[in-house]
Amino acid sequence: MKAWALRITAFALLTSGGFLLADGCWIRTKAVLAQILLQHAWEQTLTSGRQTKPWPWADTWPVARLQVQRLGIDLIVLEGDSGEVLAFGPGHLPASSAPSDNGHCILAGHRDTSFQFLQYLKKDDVVTLQTSNGRLQSYRVRETMIHGAEELYFQESDSFALTLLTCYPFDTLRANTNLRYIVFAEKS
Amino acid sequence: MANGKDDRRRAAPDPGNTLFIVYVGFVMFIVLLSMVVDSYAAVDSSENQEVTLSGIRQGALLFATNGNEGKFVAAPQLSKDVEIYISAMTARTMVRQRFVNGTDQWQEAIYVFPLPDESAVDQLRMRIGDRVIEGEIKEKEEAKTVYEQAKKEGKKASLLSQERPNIFTMAVANIAPGEEIEVEIEFQQVVALSNGIFSLRFPMVVGPRYIPGSPGIHDREQESLHFSGTGWAMDTDQVPDASRITPPVAPSGEQNLNPVRLMVELAAGFSIARVESLYHGIIVADEERDVKLIRFDGNVKADRDFVLEWEAAQQARPQAALFSEKRGSDTYLLMMLSPPILDSSKQAPPRELVFVLDTSGSMAGTSIVQAREALILAISRLTDHDRFNVIEFNSTASKLFEHAEAADAEHRKQAIRFVSSLKANGGTEIAKALDLALDGKQNHERIRQVMFLTDGSVGNEKELLATIASRLGDSRLFTVGIGSAPNSYFMSRAAVMGRGSYTYIGKTSEVEQKMGRLFQKLEHPAITDITLKTSSGRSLQSYPDPIPDLYAGEPLVVSLKIPEGTEQEMLNISGRLGVERWQESLNLKTLAERSGVATLWARKKIRSLVDTLALGAKEDHVRKEVLDTALTHHLVSRYTSLVAVEKQVSRPLEEDISQSVLKNNLPHGWQAQKIFGGTAQTATPAQLRMIMGVLLLLAAFLLLYWNRRQRV
Repeated sequence: MKAWALRITAFALLTSGGFLLADGCWIRTKAVLAQILLQHAWEQTLTSGRQTKPWPWADTWPVARLQVQRLGIDLIVLEGDSGEVLAFGPGHLPASSAPSDNGHCILAGHRDTSFQFLQYLKKDDVVTLQTSNGRLQSYRVRETMIHGAEELYFQESDSFALTLLTCYPFDTLRANTNLRYIVFAEKS
Repeated sequence: MANGKDDRRRAAPDPGNTLFIVYVGFVMFIVLLSMVVDSYAAVDSSENQEVTLSGIRQGALLFATNGNEGKFVAAPQLSKDVEIYISAMTARTMVRQRFVNGTDQWQEAIYVFPLPDESAVDQLRMRIGDRVIEGEIKEKEEAKTVYEQAKKEGKKASLLSQERPNIFTMAVANIAPGEEIEVEIEFQQVVALSNGIFSLRFPMVVGPRYIPGSPGIHDREQESLHFSGTGWAMDTDQVPDASRITPPVAPSGEQNLNPVRLMVELAAGFSIARVESLYHGIIVADEERDVKLIRFDGNVKADRDFVLEWEAAQQARPQAALFSEKRGSDTYLLMMLSPPILDSSKQAPPRELVFVLDTSGSMAGTSIVQAREALILAISRLTDHDRFNVIEFNSTASKLFEHAEAADAEHRKQAIRFVSSLKANGGTEIAKALDLALDGKQNHERIRQVMFLTDGSVGNEKELLATIASRLGDSRLFTVGIGSAPNSYFMSRAAVMGRGSYTYIGKTSEVEQKMGRLFQKLEHPAITDITLKTSSGRSLQSYPDPIPDLYAGEPLVVSLKIPEGTEQEMLNISGRLGVERWQESLNLKTLAERSGVATLWARKKIRSLVDTLALGAKEDHVRKEVLDTALTHHLVSRYTSLVAVEKQVSRPLEEDISQSVLKNNLPHGWQAQKIFGGTAQTATPAQLRMIMGVLLLLAAFLLLYWNRRQRV
């Protein structure tokens, strides 16, 4: 009787532990695998000039390609900032200017997947954004800062400005933090 | 029984074990895969940088961080006492801020706060227990060095500096754990008066700003203030639509971070018919005759500006005011010039209006629609008495009429037809349009008003301002900014140069209201070319310099210093009303003394000097003049700060100081608007789940191992 209960418990622990571990790893794996599909969709966007969904059931589409040469970063940016979108890569905040427009463009990403590299960006780093018409726009990092999420307001700009946004601190287990790490860059 | 079970297990192919191997294999695969991911993401971290505090420099708020370890600490609490003493046209405000360090570490508190535009800050006092330390005025860099030095040595110190004309930062170093420090500042300001209503505004919060997007922020200080500074304060020429940023909206339920207590003593100098606070509940008590005492009804959250309005009783409406203060051998004056009451329009000389419309490519879209609408409205308001012309410019500039024509029905119709047909394309050659619009002539038989409608997207601002200065003559230039992002900086400068005003129209729906207000002002005759002289004929310099035109319903407040030996003379104020001269004399013998008049003069002088920077004055020269004035009058300015340092050391040097930035309340009504980032959930539970998963697996293996040992 005792052995039976023990085995059930062990089995339950194995299942849930395995599931959690797999799920945790899956979140990260997904972000990498998705970028491969997204790269493909991006090539198509550039050649066709139309919005191309990376997979048939996707509710988002690539809008830009974000590169940081110094850090070897090459990411496809998706439209939207919902959880579903951010699971696959950085997202463009719909309220901000489009990446191709002369204005203030804001991108958000997960601190532990796509935008983990933000912590290594420093002043004067060059961030390149390729927009759907194929044009390359270089931005120079002007500053980095930390703010509470509810303290952030969006200010329009009349020149090219780019803000990258992720959760802060980078190394914490808590998924819900109120702080945001912000990288502000301007057209160089 | 147990043996039998074991036998059966061995005999049958064991699906459990196979599944287990598959399961472990799957988990291993995923773990390996995620290691690949991690190595992909782990880029060079050798240069992990510290987060800068530069956010504060821009009036942005606010985070609390311990610079040393990246660990977060609770910020000191702050409470504020505000006492305002209003005496006729001037107000002296004392702000007492209490910093309480509730942490177990030594703290440096940094606090960003707004003060009214053109407030002259001249006192800083630090109170620790019974000790009071007075602040000294020093050159900005020097003050900072003194402060940093004191901070390093473990002495208590505070530093008050001006970041923008109306945004200040206060830093207080070495607050012991559990200690309370009080810092008092005092400033002087002029009460606003428009259409018979006196008002005073006390800003309570700095609006949270997102990081500025416009380049060259230092050169374009005025423009960048849209959000942070004047923004929610007064309707100024720079930000004429500012008041709409402070709509009364339902409270957001956020914690009351910075409680404020406020007391106002209002000695208006006349019997008061009405006192009202626009956004806060107040209790008004009669102190003595014509003096009222005003308090907040309870503790008020610092999330909206405090605005107090009062009016004189009908029979006691003041028409002029003159106050003085003696400092050493100098006598300073603060004078309110009221426009004379004119009996009818027959005194008013005819007007000549020149409308200039930008039809360059940058005006395409809603801008040109707004501009056309504004212009048609302007033309239809003209009377037969007026003369007018319309100039359109893009790559070239052209006139509708060769010479200004009478604004009769026929010409008006023709002009409206012309304006309606205008389309936007081509370049922006403002210089050509200015050449046509400004004739450089002096002709007192008419009032010449040039109205310039543009988005001002130009590069050669300095040249254009110089053109305006040289060709203005006796015309007045009124700039109207159109579109969502007009070059307000250039246009407000141009209006100052052109001795007119700047109006900003942001939305099509505002055209009627904003233009209506401008026309009302222009349709009434103004007194121009105002000069001040003593009766012995010495002309006096006053601020603002030159004295703007005097329009009906808009009294001017002018500051001046009278030279020694002229105290017994008369002060002659003269100006022109069209062809007629207008003159008034004031006796300087009997002056009402008011303290603060000298300080206000110095503040106005500094403002005037700093303004010349934008017009191309040499920074070195301006700096020297400003320093001179600010140091003499003990004023915080662009180049000076107040610093107070305690003599004794209070922090043992082996203990670290950590820095924290005080959190401000959000301005009322802002929270729901345009917030972003708060909605994007930019973290995943991946790491947490992986760790939990490994822990659970470990527990399972331990359990199985223990089970097996027990059975052996």
